[in-house]
Amino acid sequence: MGFRYTLEILTIVAIIAFCAIFLYTSSTMSDAEFAGSDNVGSELIMRLSGNTEGSFQPLIPQWEPPSGEIESCLFALQAAVGGILVGGVFGYWIGQKKKA
Amino acid sequence: MHIMEGGLSWQWCLVWWLIALPFLIYGVHHLKKILAADREALPLLGVTGGFIFILSSLKLPSITGSCSHPTGTGLSTISFGPWITTVVCAIVLLFQSLFLAHGGLSVLGANIVSMGIVGPSAGYVLYRLLRDTSVNVYLTVFLVTALADMFTYVTTSLQLALAFPAETGGLFSSFVMFLGVFAVTQVPLAIVEGIVLALVFKYIITLKPDILIRLRIFSAEKIDEARSRI
Repeated sequence: MGFRYTLEILTIVAIIAFCAIFLYTSSTMSDAEFAGSDNVGSELIMRLSGNTEGSFQPLIPQWEPPSGEIESCLFALQAAVGGILVGGVFGYWIGQKKKA
Repeated sequence: MHIMEGGLSWQWCLVWWLIALPFLIYGVHHLKKILAADREALPLLGVTGGFIFILSSLKLPSITGSCSHPTGTGLSTISFGPWITTVVCAIVLLFQSLFLAHGGLSVLGANIVSMGIVGPSAGYVLYRLLRDTSVNVYLTVFLVTALADMFTYVTTSLQLALAFPAETGGLFSSFVMFLGVFAVTQVPLAIVEGIVLALVFKYIITLKPDILIRLRIFSAEKIDEARSRI
C-alpha cells in the first residue's frame, strides 16, 4: 500500500520542479526569449548555410496563421481534440467497469 | 523538431518522403488488421493517440531559454508499435503543417521520420528489451517515452546536419551544434513527459488491464504485479 500514490506524487514534484527551473532561468538569463527551438534551429541553419531569411522560399506554398492569437487558437483546438479522445475513452472504460 | 517549410532542399525532402512512405503504408495496413481483430483496441488507440495530440500541441519552456514540444509517442509505441504511431504522428504533423505553419508539406516526410519513425522505433526496441525482464511496468513506460522523445530531436539534428554540414568540421560539428539547440532543450521535457505518461499508464492498468494482456502488450504476471502496487 506504500506505493499507492507514488506516481501521482512524483508527477506533481516533477511539474513543480519544472516550473521552478523555468522561473529560475527566466530570471537569471536576461537574453532568454523562450522562442521555439524550431526558430533557434532555423537561425542556426541560416548561419551555417550563409543564407539570409529572405532566401528561404517555401517549396510548397503554405498558409500561415495571420497572428499569434489565431495560431494559439488552432493549437488549443489540437489539444482539445486530444483531450476529448482521452476523456471520452476513460469515461467509456469507467462505464464498462461499472456495468461488469 | 519541426523542420520549417523550405528548410531542406527538394532532394532531401524526397529522400525523407521515400523513407517515410513505406512505414505509413504498412502502418495503415497494420492498423486495419488490429482493429478488425479486436474492436476493443480502438479505445486504447484513442487514448494513446489523444496524448500525441495533446502533448505535441504544448510548447514548453526549457533550461536553454527556448521552448520545445514534447512528442507524446511513448504510450502509442508500447501499445501498438512504431508503425501505427507513425500514422498518428503523420495526422498531427499534417494538421500542423497545413494550419499552423509548423513544418510544411515538402518537409513533412522528414518530420514524420524523426517524430513518427526513429523516435518510436528507438522506444520500441527498448520496450522489447525490457518487456521480458523484471523491470517494473511504470519504469518501462517512463524510459521508453523519454527515449522516444529524445531520439526524435536527435534525428532532427542529424537531418539538419546532413543537409547543412559546417564549413569547418563538416557533418559532425554541425550535428553537435544542432544537438545543442534541440537535444539539450529537450532533456527536461523528456523526463517530465516520461513521468506523466507513466501515471497515465497506471490509470489504463487500473481500468482496463485485460486489453493490455489480450494485445500482449505486457504479460499477465507483470500487469498483476503492477496492479498490486496501486
